[in-house]
Amino acid sequence: MLPLTLLRTAVYHPMLVELKNGETYNGHLISCDNFMNIHLRDVICTSRDGDRFWKIPECYIRGNTIKYLRLPEDVLGLVKEDTNEKPTRSGPPTRRPFRGRGDGGRGGHGGRSAGSGGDHRKGGGGGGRGGHQGSRGGGRGGQQGGQLRQGR
Amino acid sequence: MDLSIVNNDYYLSGMAALIGDVDKQLMVMLRDGRTLIAYLRSLDQFGNLVLHQAFERICIGRQYADIPRGLFVIRGENVLFIGELDFHQPLRVPLIEVTIEEILKLQKEDIEKKEHIEKLRQKAMIEHGLIDEGNPIEEHY
Repeated sequence: MLPLTLLRTAVYHPMLVELKNGETYNGHLISCDNFMNIHLRDVICTSRDGDRFWKIPECYIRGNTIKYLRLPEDVLGLVKEDTNEKPTRSGPPTRRPFRGRGDGGRGGHGGRSAGSGGDHRKGGGGGGRGGHQGSRGGGRGGQQGGQLRQGR
Repeated sequence: MDLSIVNNDYYLSGMAALIGDVDKQLMVMLRDGRTLIAYLRSLDQFGNLVLHQAFERICIGRQYADIPRGLFVIRGENVLFIGELDFHQPLRVPLIEVTIEEILKLQKEDIEKKEHIEKLRQKAMIEHGLIDEGNPIEEHY
């Protein structure tokens, strides 16, 4: 899950926000947006040196001033529950862009073997050897097709 | 170009290159000089990271200590670099682990030493009539 999605699930949880200037804000997250702007409640602000403290009932922090946020570990478990509720869909990592090319390659090499007919196996095999993984499978298929035809 | 193919290996540009490092233990150095070691759980196109089971490693000379920090969401622009760690390999530079209190004490002394040197340097610059531009590496927000 995306970092901002994790932040959205962490609403109403306590967290520590450190700003770029070194100040830390400890409070409960009320809301956040896509720019990482956050609204906190019951905040304790600590200065950079850790020597001054302020108690702030509510504060709004602009996203671009944030260095990092520290969240309680149980928020990760919460996000996993949320994603299980959503319908599963295959994301970009599972998509294989070369599967289509492999199919095309197989069809193409099959066509070549059919055309040559009694021609050597080497021709189909050589064509299959060059190229990507998908085409390699296609070349193998073409080779087998050539063998079958010769047997007949 | 977002994707480049070199010797049958696929290289993605920008933050997408880190997708292969998800769930790996990485060393992340922030611009303020902090070093974090954690499992990368997720990232987005801005380089915002979710780091799990993070600990901050403070190194002073050959001595170090790890302070457990838990779950982090880091804003991408604050990251200096991210490196892959191999815990099975022995450290090329032998580091001595000390307690957290010890390393915090050493860190404080180290900062005081550096501030002292900086003060002397500034004084020397002024005495020689040179303009002092300060330390350009340190980040000032």
